[in-house]
Parts: sequence; C-alpha cells; structure tokens
Amino acid sequence: MAEQITVVVVDDHSIFRSGLRADLDDSVLVVGEADDVDSAIAVITAAAPTVVLLDVHLPGGTDAASSGGAEVIRRTAALVPGTRFLALSVSDSAEDVVGVIRAGARGYITKGSSGSDVSRAVHAVAGGDAVFSPRLAGFVLDAFGAAGGEIASTDEELDRLSAREQEVMRLIARGYAYKEVAATLFISTKTVETHVSSVLRKLQLSSRHELTAWATARKLL
Amino acid sequence: MSTASARRLNAQNARSGAPRGAGPVPPLVRDRDCYVAGVAGGLATHLGWSPLLVRVIFLVTGLVGAGVLLYLWLWAFTPWAEPTDAAPRVTRRAPVAWILVALAIGGAATAIGQALTTYEVRVGGAVPWIPTVVVTVLLAVAAGAWTSFIDRRDPERGRRTEVAVRLVATGVLTVLAVVLLTGPSAAQSPTVVFLAALFVVIGIGLLYAPSLVTLWNDLTTERVARIRDEQRSAIAAHLHDSVLQTLALIQNRAGASSEAGRLARAQERELRSWLFEGDSPADSDLATDLRDFASALELDYPVHIEVVAVGSSTERASGELAAAAREAMLNAARHAGGDVSVYIEGAATAVDVFVRDRGPGFDVASVASDRLGVRESIIGRMRRAGGRGTVGPGAGGVGTEVHLRFETGEAARG
Repeated sequence: MAEQITVVVVDDHSIFRSGLRADLDDSVLVVGEADDVDSAIAVITAAAPTVVLLDVHLPGGTDAASSGGAEVIRRTAALVPGTRFLALSVSDSAEDVVGVIRAGARGYITKGSSGSDVSRAVHAVAGGDAVFSPRLAGFVLDAFGAAGGEIASTDEELDRLSAREQEVMRLIARGYAYKEVAATLFISTKTVETHVSSVLRKLQLSSRHELTAWATARKLL
Repeated sequence: MSTASARRLNAQNARSGAPRGAGPVPPLVRDRDCYVAGVAGGLATHLGWSPLLVRVIFLVTGLVGAGVLLYLWLWAFTPWAEPTDAAPRVTRRAPVAWILVALAIGGAATAIGQALTTYEVRVGGAVPWIPTVVVTVLLAVAAGAWTSFIDRRDPERGRRTEVAVRLVATGVLTVLAVVLLTGPSAAQSPTVVFLAALFVVIGIGLLYAPSLVTLWNDLTTERVARIRDEQRSAIAAHLHDSVLQTLALIQNRAGASSEAGRLARAQERELRSWLFEGDSPADSDLATDLRDFASALELDYPVHIEVVAVGSSTERASGELAAAAREAMLNAARHAGGDVSVYIEGAATAVDVFVRDRGPGFDVASVASDRLGVRESIIGRMRRAGGRGTVGPGAGGVGTEVHLRFETGEAARG
C-alpha cells in the first residue's frame, strides 16, 4: 500500500462527503467530489480515479427507471475503463442495490460503515475484488432462488449459483469476513474472493427473470 | 305477510328481551332484514304498531303524495340497526329492481296498446300515450339505478342481476321506441312521436348512466390512492436524503457502541422500515419480528445487530423458533455486544436461524447448572419443539454462534 489510491466521492450531501473524507485512511486520496449525476460524470472523466465511492441515490438523473448512481456508472464506464465503482448507500431497498450492482458497481457497503471499513473496501475494489456486505449477500441469495434449493450444474450457468458459491454467500450473510469464510470452508482467502467475483459477474450478466421481476415487486411506488 | 310480521314481532321481542310496552321505546332504526329499505318495519317497531298498518298508511298517503315524502325522508335519515348475528348485513327480501322492471313492462304494454289504437290525434290536445311513455321510461331508469347502486353490493344479487335487469329494461324501451316510430301515430304527428322516441332513447342512455357513475367513482378512488402513493414516495425520498444520511453520519462519527450512535441507529432502523416496507400492516413473520426485536435491543445494549433474511418462510413470530432466536439475540447483546449478525433462511423444508457475535465466547459445559438461559431457553426449547439448537464458537474461535434449525417438511404445525 505504498502508493495512495485515488478516489472520487459522489454524494449529494456535503456533510457526508466531508465526514467521509475525514474518516478515510491516509492510503486513500480523495481527488474529487461531486454532488449530482452531471457533475459526477464530469469529475470522474476528468480525474479518472482508481475507485469511485458512489451514492446510490443522486439528484439530476435523467432516467426515472434507475437510480442516479446506476446512471453515473452506465454513462462513465466506457470513458474511464480503469475506474471501479463502489456503491455506498443508506438505502436498504433491494431494487436500488441490485440495480447499481447490475449497472457495474463492484460492491456495496452501507453508509453506517466506519472509515476504516470503507478504506478496506476501497482497497479490495481497487485490487479487483468484489465487496459484499451481509445484506447484499442476502439479496443475492434471494434473487438467485438459493433458498428454494436451486443449484447450478456447471460453473458457466449464469442464472443460478453453484453449491460452493451459495455456501460462500451464506457465510457472508451470516456475518463472516472473507478470512473466516476461507477458514470455515477450508479454502484460501483468494478462492473466496474468486467465488465472490464470480457471483458478482453472474449478478451483472444474468438474464434471470426474477432479478428484474423481484426488483419491480419491491418498488417503492 | 302475516308470517313475516309475526317473524318481525318475534325478532323484536327477542331483541328487546321484554314484553311489548314494558321497556323503553325502541330506537328508530331500520331493520337489516327488510323488504325494501326497512323504513316501514323500523317505524312500526319504534311506534309499537303493526308493520302491516304502517305499510297501509304509507301506501294510502303515498297515493296522495305526502307519504312518499315522509318515506324518503325517513329512508335518508334513519340509520341502519346495529348488525346482529341473525342479520349481519342488509338483506332486502323484495326484488325491487325486478318489480320496477315488471311495472315498466306493464307501462310499455299499455303505451303500445294506446299508440296502436289511437288513430285520431286531437289538434292541440294531449297525445294520450305520452304520460304512459314517460312513466315507463322513469320506471325503467329507476330499475337500472336501483340495481347498480343497491343490488350490486348485495351478494345475493350482485352483477348478474344488474346485467339482467338492465338488458330486460333496454329491451322493453327499445321495443317501445320502435313501435312508436313505426306505429300509426308516426304518420299523424311526426314531431311528437320523434320527441317521444328521443325521450325513450335518452331513457336507455340513463339506464347505463349509473354504471358510468360507478366507474367514475372507482377511477377517482384509484387516482386518490395513486396521488397518496406519490406523495408518500416523495416524502420518503426527502427523508431518505436528509434524515437518514444525517443519522448514518452520526453513527459513523460517534462510534458503534456509544450512546449517540445507538440512538441514531435505532432511529434509522425505525425510519427505514417505515420508508421501505410500505404501509402494509407489519405481518408478524419471523424476519419482521426479529428485526423489531433487534432494534429494541439496540436501544438497550451497546450492540449493532444486522438481520438478513433469505427466502420465505411460513414460520410465525409466535413459534418456539422465534422465541429461541430472541433469547439467542438477547444473550449476544448482553454478553458480547459489538457487531451481531442474524441470518434467517427459510426454505421449503426447514428454517435456519444463525445468531453470531464476536464477544468473548463461552463454553456451554462450563456454564453453571443453575443458569438456565442457554440450556433451557435455547437448546431445550428447540428440542421440545422438535427442532435443533446448537451453540458453539464462531468462525476462527471468535465469539459465539447459535444455530437453530426447525424442520417444517413433514409436520407443518397449524
């Protein structure tokens, strides 16, 4: 961690931005801030940071069907290919969280997380890993019908999780850290990360009907 | 009639529980088990007269005019009687809509007869069938209105009756209009016949007007609901952006176990459940119950409980599993504090609950035998209920993990 990771913080609350900025480790350097969709796109393309800490709900979105955060990812992903997005939200609605992950975010943490937690998540995302909170793991298990006993027969199958991936997700949902998951399943931490990334990929690529249907069913309106 | 009035008298005596004349005067209410609107019956009960007498008086004075007004007045302003076991809802024994239709048929037949037999129209005089046509149309429209506004809500009649009544009435009016237009009168006084036929056609239109009114009412209700929903989500978005963010920040700055952080977390949880779970009444399923319990614990102990629920389960909050899970959460909050994870997975055949803390941990065997918390409230309780409860160290030997499992496959409990 010799070199600092560059971060852009996108949130429409200046209090939250400054609070987060003060809480982050020295290993993380905030190179830009933005408070709505358009300014976020401008700042991200100009600064091309390693990681964007992105609020799920942002003002100024043009697409009513998705949250502002998801729109920022969709409109900037092609412009700054090296940048990774970490969703940061107080929202607990499954629709918003899954929406922003499907748009391309590499993880989701709640705003209640401490500064060191956020810093650790930023490092993980910058290193190419996915960051799953217990709650997101729960959403994922639900969306893939894991409780109904659906298991993918091959790893290539996008619409279901493999047995191992389900085990990993279950342990994360139970509050286990990656290291603890690895110890419990007698696999390496790296393997856990591989599984998590694979789940993230499935979540983003799957055309599974329930992902959308279920998100619609939980719509606020 | 006599059996009906006897029944009414019986019902009345049964209601007052005393012979007539002994108790106070019964209040003026409309009986739910009635012929048309319960006005005559209610008035008879109130005055202590025979319902038959009241009906005859209404009929006689009704022919003069005053009786109709009094009837309508009482109809509008007399409340229904309180629902009883014998008459839980309003039952109208007289098929009012069909009676009106029958009268309309009679009127139409008379008008047709008059129109076919009247060859001479007195110059400047009244055409003899006009009043009959007017009355016929009014009767048909009244039948339509009655069936849409009153019969539709009556489960014994409902939509079917409504459609049938309307079809018959439409048929009657159509026949009347056709006969008027093609009959001998049409040649003699085309203007009068045309106006009369137009009136009949308007009557057909009015027959369907009530259903339009009902449709309009439905639309308005729906629109009001939608506006309320939109308003609510606007409020939710605003609160989300302002209050929730601030609460998150307070927790962040104050630290997980401080008093301020705890209060902020509990408030955040409460507000969030209101914002995102809609205004559906909180059904007491297992996950909802444990979430509520978690927010209550967070107020009392320096603990942060994250409840994650997966799948759907039919397990109720009143069940033994919920009680054991609450006990486990309470233990974790009391003895461990810090971060506690609760994970509920409901599958078709079994429900699993994991409660995991990162406290000092403890050995079940070393707990003194007089301490009943874990042994009885969790493990014993699950065993007695036919489930399983295990308490062990958490991953990597840190903290404690309680695993509760309840098979629902073979013996689903009522």
